[in-house]
Amino acid sequence: MIEWISSKRVAPYVFIAPVIILGLLFFAVPLSYSAYISLTDWDSMSTPQWVGLKNYSYLLTEDSFFFSSLVNTFYFAFGMMALSVPIALTVAYVISRSRYQEFWRALYWLPMITNTVAVAYIWKFILSDSSGLLNRTLDVLGLPGPNWLTSPSLSMFSVVVVAVWVSLGHNILLFAAGLNDIDESYYEAGKLDGAHPLQMFWHVTIPLLRPTILFVMITNFITALSSFALMLVLTEGGPVRSTTVTGLYLYEMAFADLRLGRASAAAFVLFVLILLISLAQLRLFRRGGVVAY
Amino acid sequence: MSRPILRALLKYGLLGVGAVMMVAPFLDMFLGALRTPAELLAIPQVYWPRDPQWINFARVFSELPVLRWLTNSVIVTVAITTLQMTTSTMAGYALAKYKFWGSGAILRAVLGAQMFPFFLLIIPIFFMLRYVPLAGGNDLLGAGGTGLLSSYMALILPFAVTWYGIFLMRQFFLNVSDEIIDAARIDGAGEFRIFLTIALPLVRPGLATLGVFVFIYHWNEVIWTMTVTRSVPELQTIPVGIYLLRGAFADPSTESLQRAAVCVSILPVIAVFLFLQRYYVRGLMAGSVKG
Repeated sequence: MIEWISSKRVAPYVFIAPVIILGLLFFAVPLSYSAYISLTDWDSMSTPQWVGLKNYSYLLTEDSFFFSSLVNTFYFAFGMMALSVPIALTVAYVISRSRYQEFWRALYWLPMITNTVAVAYIWKFILSDSSGLLNRTLDVLGLPGPNWLTSPSLSMFSVVVVAVWVSLGHNILLFAAGLNDIDESYYEAGKLDGAHPLQMFWHVTIPLLRPTILFVMITNFITALSSFALMLVLTEGGPVRSTTVTGLYLYEMAFADLRLGRASAAAFVLFVLILLISLAQLRLFRRGGVVAY
Repeated sequence: MSRPILRALLKYGLLGVGAVMMVAPFLDMFLGALRTPAELLAIPQVYWPRDPQWINFARVFSELPVLRWLTNSVIVTVAITTLQMTTSTMAGYALAKYKFWGSGAILRAVLGAQMFPFFLLIIPIFFMLRYVPLAGGNDLLGAGGTGLLSSYMALILPFAVTWYGIFLMRQFFLNVSDEIIDAARIDGAGEFRIFLTIALPLVRPGLATLGVFVFIYHWNEVIWTMTVTRSVPELQTIPVGIYLLRGAFADPSTESLQRAAVCVSILPVIAVFLFLQRYYVRGLMAGSVKG
């Protein structure tokens, strides 16, 4: 028996078995279960009532909160990508031309390894209206301190800034790897032609780094579309829903309002959106010269 | 001033500003943990604590269930890390070193599954665990009790497998030469012995990478743990515990305590990170660049 199990023919199935079983239990089954729930009306206690596609049609045609949550989601994802990528690229480039590279880079990893609750508290204190570090500093400088987290028109911007702060470390690392792959001879040639560092950055680094830049932009965007932990603990989606992204909206629909059918439907709509965007961007990758991903 | 000097000034100026932006928020948190209640209530609030209250860090342990939270964090994180390392090495080895019926399909499934965000699975997994028959006071039909929700199982089991980890370990096993394995086979070693005594020791860096990465990720996990333990204080981990106790800190004089607790929640990760940084970084790279 032991001989048979540890034979070359049977052993691989033993190695893969735990993943198959757990993958079915905690991935395939819940996914199908969720698809079923999305076609019902369910409050978690009573028997689910079959409603067909009603949840989907409600979300897509009647639920204005769902639509505004999508707007917030894209604002967040786009804002994060648009700020984080250029900053990370600049910092990575400057670090790559400096001494003590490891040290400078390590500083940016600190926010990345900090739990979201701590990140939220750190910034809640800094951004608080009157006693926060930021508005105190602005006050010393004679500038007015806005309500970073409590005004609906500014709150999402503040959340984006915090998310960028967290994301820089990872992006800098990816750019550092890309920069490392650029042959030094390009820079030497540039130097011989009398280019100064800024010109070199613009005419040598950026074109050669294009595949990495595209890759980082796209992964940032897609990750941001599905994240909501920061909004949950920093602003709880407020004030007046201004930071309620779709992930948070469906989470609260499920666990606060117990509208599980509608929440599951919202999850699938968001997922399909993310999938479509990923596929579209994959094509962009190919045209942008990224083949390895 | 000559141009190279100006350039260096600009360069290190920029790096300096960046460093301040990264570190100052942590310092702000830390300084706040050392203030006295009087300093907090003063208008305007006293920024630099005149008489640093180091005792706040001790009070966190005596006045808040921080020890309980830390214990839970360690139990859950260590269990998940161990489980994921076990399932990932086994599956990664099978997918790297054997050709068997379904192996191609399984590899494609592992890669495809990574595209499904966690928000799709939160709702169904929560209610699956809630309605497990005969667990946590449930009857045969899964009704009546809380199922597995009020146990550590709920925090650990859904994360027993990581698609990313399987892929990562497969990459490491691909670099193990087939000749060594075949030589062991000729010597009559069984497949499990080869796995445990020959292949596994050769992928130690991979194990470290996966371990550190998973540890930090799950130490910091908030959404699932909060969903499950909202009404089960004895299972809360440190980030979740701090967050859910926010109501108790409405009184500004306890702000220092809250800040100290936040500092305590960050420290273990920083400690792990300081020692095993290079493995973590490798894990990040492997996660983002596939192929």
